[in-house]
Amino acid sequence: MIIGIDVGGTHADGVLLEGARLVAKHKVAVDQEHLSESIISLLGALVPNDRRQLERVHLSSTLATNAIVTGNLDPIGMLIQAGPGINPDFLANNGPTWFLDGAIDHRGHIIRDPDLRLIDEAVAAMLEAGIKSVGIVTKFSHRNSLHERFIADRLGARFPHICMGHQISGLPNFPRRVYTTWLNASLTARFAQFEKAIEQGLTQLGVDCPCHILKADGGTIPFARAIEFPCESVHSGPSASVMGCLALADQSEDAILLDIGGTTTDISLLVDGTPLLEPYGINIAGRPTLIRALNTVSIGLGGDSTVAFADDAFRIGPRRSGPPMAQGGTTPTPTDALVVLGLLAVGSAEKAAAAMQCLCPGEPPADTASRLLTAFAERISQEVAAMIDSVFSRPVYTVSALLQRRRITPEKLIVIGGPAAALKQSLENCFNLPCLVPTDYEVANAIGAARTQLTVQATLYADTADGRVSIPEISCLEDISNRFGMAEAESKLEQVICGIASDMGMTGRPTIDFLERLEMNVIRGFETSGKILNLKAQIRPGLADIQGEQP
Amino acid sequence: MTSFMPRALNRTALILFPAFDWCISPTHPEREERLLYTRDQLIEEGLEDVDNIVFLNPELASHADIDRVHLCAPSSHKLLTESHLISAGATLRVARAVMDKEADNAFAIVRPPGHHAMQTVFGDRGFCIVNIEAIMIEYIRRHYGVKKIAIVDTDCHHGDGTQDIYYNDPDTLFISLHQDGRTLFPGTGFIRESGGPAANGYTINLPLPPNTGEDGFDMVMERVVMPILDEFKPELIINSAGQDNHYTDPITNMNFTAQGYARLNQRLNPDICVLEGGYSIEGALPYTNLGIILAMAGMDYSHVKEPDYDQARFRQPEEMTKYIAGVCDKALEVFENRGKSKEEALKKKVVSERKNIFYDTTGFNVDEVRQYHLCPDCPGFTEVTATSPRARIHAYTVPFNACPTCQRTARDLFGATQPIPQTITALQDRVADIYETK
Repeated sequence: MIIGIDVGGTHADGVLLEGARLVAKHKVAVDQEHLSESIISLLGALVPNDRRQLERVHLSSTLATNAIVTGNLDPIGMLIQAGPGINPDFLANNGPTWFLDGAIDHRGHIIRDPDLRLIDEAVAAMLEAGIKSVGIVTKFSHRNSLHERFIADRLGARFPHICMGHQISGLPNFPRRVYTTWLNASLTARFAQFEKAIEQGLTQLGVDCPCHILKADGGTIPFARAIEFPCESVHSGPSASVMGCLALADQSEDAILLDIGGTTTDISLLVDGTPLLEPYGINIAGRPTLIRALNTVSIGLGGDSTVAFADDAFRIGPRRSGPPMAQGGTTPTPTDALVVLGLLAVGSAEKAAAAMQCLCPGEPPADTASRLLTAFAERISQEVAAMIDSVFSRPVYTVSALLQRRRITPEKLIVIGGPAAALKQSLENCFNLPCLVPTDYEVANAIGAARTQLTVQATLYADTADGRVSIPEISCLEDISNRFGMAEAESKLEQVICGIASDMGMTGRPTIDFLERLEMNVIRGFETSGKILNLKAQIRPGLADIQGEQP
Repeated sequence: MTSFMPRALNRTALILFPAFDWCISPTHPEREERLLYTRDQLIEEGLEDVDNIVFLNPELASHADIDRVHLCAPSSHKLLTESHLISAGATLRVARAVMDKEADNAFAIVRPPGHHAMQTVFGDRGFCIVNIEAIMIEYIRRHYGVKKIAIVDTDCHHGDGTQDIYYNDPDTLFISLHQDGRTLFPGTGFIRESGGPAANGYTINLPLPPNTGEDGFDMVMERVVMPILDEFKPELIINSAGQDNHYTDPITNMNFTAQGYARLNQRLNPDICVLEGGYSIEGALPYTNLGIILAMAGMDYSHVKEPDYDQARFRQPEEMTKYIAGVCDKALEVFENRGKSKEEALKKKVVSERKNIFYDTTGFNVDEVRQYHLCPDCPGFTEVTATSPRARIHAYTVPFNACPTCQRTARDLFGATQPIPQTITALQDRVADIYETK
């Protein structure tokens, strides 16, 4: 049995699943200041009497997200080495930052070692300021992690937490690497406390099965590993909802997933049944990062959004000002329209009709209501079209990739959230696609958390002219022979990913996708001097296989 | 609110299309690897996240876009691969971005390049088959009605293809800065090549001595390029942004730098840049391309320096500076005398020119005769006869700014011409946007 817990802003939902079967569900109010207590009390209501039946606990946590939103982060120091390029001053806006003067080039060649005196001065200043956690990032550290590791060694045991950019992601993009490392270092101490509190709670409940944390990429990570990479726990809400949709309405085609709430609608896309990922990572608190995440767009449009009517058009959202008029509010909302049309039975039908009168005086309320729902669905449809466009416009670098680009063509809509069932018809009409509203959708997120399996991504950069391979995620920098080829590169990266997965507790051999494979001859003076191989592979986000009985 | 990413002052559109799966031949300078390190540098810098910089994908140019500019033998369908249509299509996409005000300026970092492709095309010349700038310019004229355009070619090799296409067009100012043709392919680009009879003084060549560095380029920009542009008042400025004047380039002999290229573009302030040559793929291109982008975007480029950059290394000797000053004076004189020879030429009605065009990639020669049919009201149409060992072109080409009389005369002459076997007989009418062959 698996427990899945999804923590939101005000409430946390939990489910106990046996295979895909929902055995129990429970909801508690959440106090963000005492997050672990809320979670433990929810767990207490869900754990089966026979503790041995419980295989895993999957938890989404708002700790990191809240710490960022409230600015409640640990004071840290950043050591940054930029080398030639864009003026790096903008990277110092996070807080105490020291720039070092070494440089590494695009091929991972060391141009210049950093001046030791600059490192030592930074160390002295950080110790003086009482800084305990340090982030170290160099440009091109995904190609060569030597400088980051050298600087970390120099800092030694004087700082309890040191976080290096290359370990967080093997993807390029220096500013993102800086911000991700900064975020990770800023969350380390806080997250460790949270982990301790949960561990204690679990022990008190007599639970000793593995506990995983939900990530933004629709996967999980063992709690123990999340201590090293707390940034991975950020923004897991949409990921729970997407995986919940998948669990409740599994499908293998292109599809649109909508989570329609009171104030917002989250949109995500499935490509051949797999949730679409951001190319680099999500933006957190105005900072672009390399935190792997599902591509989701959240718009200020929900059942309780404020509606106005002007110039022959409805303006819906982005704000919510109190409850719908049907439920005693003062501004018309889409929920009122649903009530008027008899699609939703909440509050007063008279007040809902009055809301429609407010919008279009003199018009029959039912007409206004159905026009409003059409406008609501159209707004979502525009947003979906923009998302599909932006995915189609992602840069490609080869003639064959350009010629083979495929536009996402959704075959259906899968909709969850409060007003989902009531909006089904309007959405079907607008999108001209079948719309599926799964049962148990009110606990979709918790089910998503429960059914999610771990994800791993790693990258490999080999340069046979230099005789070196780099797999930054595991700080690997090894010599290779000049015969090292694509087959070896693939199998090496596969082994690394299997190793990480097995360390994280995955039993059995995972399915590994290669997302990028670049093989390039290095020619110098009309002679081939070697090959550059660049690979990216992952265990894609998906549902864990169900053990035991099928529903 | 604190901003965590820099903001470009100018909204700049970029197409970065390295065509990792296309080459002329595996060890050719124009090979798959050419823009690998540039791509790696630009992505690592986080340019995709800079506010006001937008990345676009290229599209494919149509054969009609090609035939509007070129006379291809046997045909544009047979000569061009998809890679060529993409590199040309990228210039059309950036042109639209600028013309539709999606962006303030734009840079197409694409390959293969185009500035050695002349109006007649029989194959690959100097790594180019079609002239991607000219295809873009005629597209802009066709769709946006722009007339006066200046092309500043900062590739180290003379932009002989672009010069050829616009040689007799007084509405296209062509300025080329390059290593002296006595020392480098294609061996042209002397000051005396100054335009056809209807457009004399609108082709400005600035042949610079080997080892010219930042000082020399600065001087040419300051004394010649900027003053001439101020006077010509183009509606659009295009930079054929070759980057092989760089001190590390393996096939040229100049001493230019990333800082120099960035400064040049800051001064020039082009609406559109199109990458041309540049074959120091590791030591130069990642830095020169970044420098040009930052200059176009109005961002600080002072940290964009090659790992081994040392300004002192490239001080020009006094004599070279004097020599370049002389080149500047002569070029200015050419521009000052612009248009003066047209009166004299009009008396002859038809002026003939003959030239030999060498196709270096596969090694053959084309004998070409151009007959400029001059007109007091417009630049006139041109009759082109070009013969390669395998094919022949006989065409009437009507420029975008031709008068109705010239347009009609060219059509009548084409109609009266008997088709000959092995010869492409063509009418290229840019006014009506027609390309016909028989």
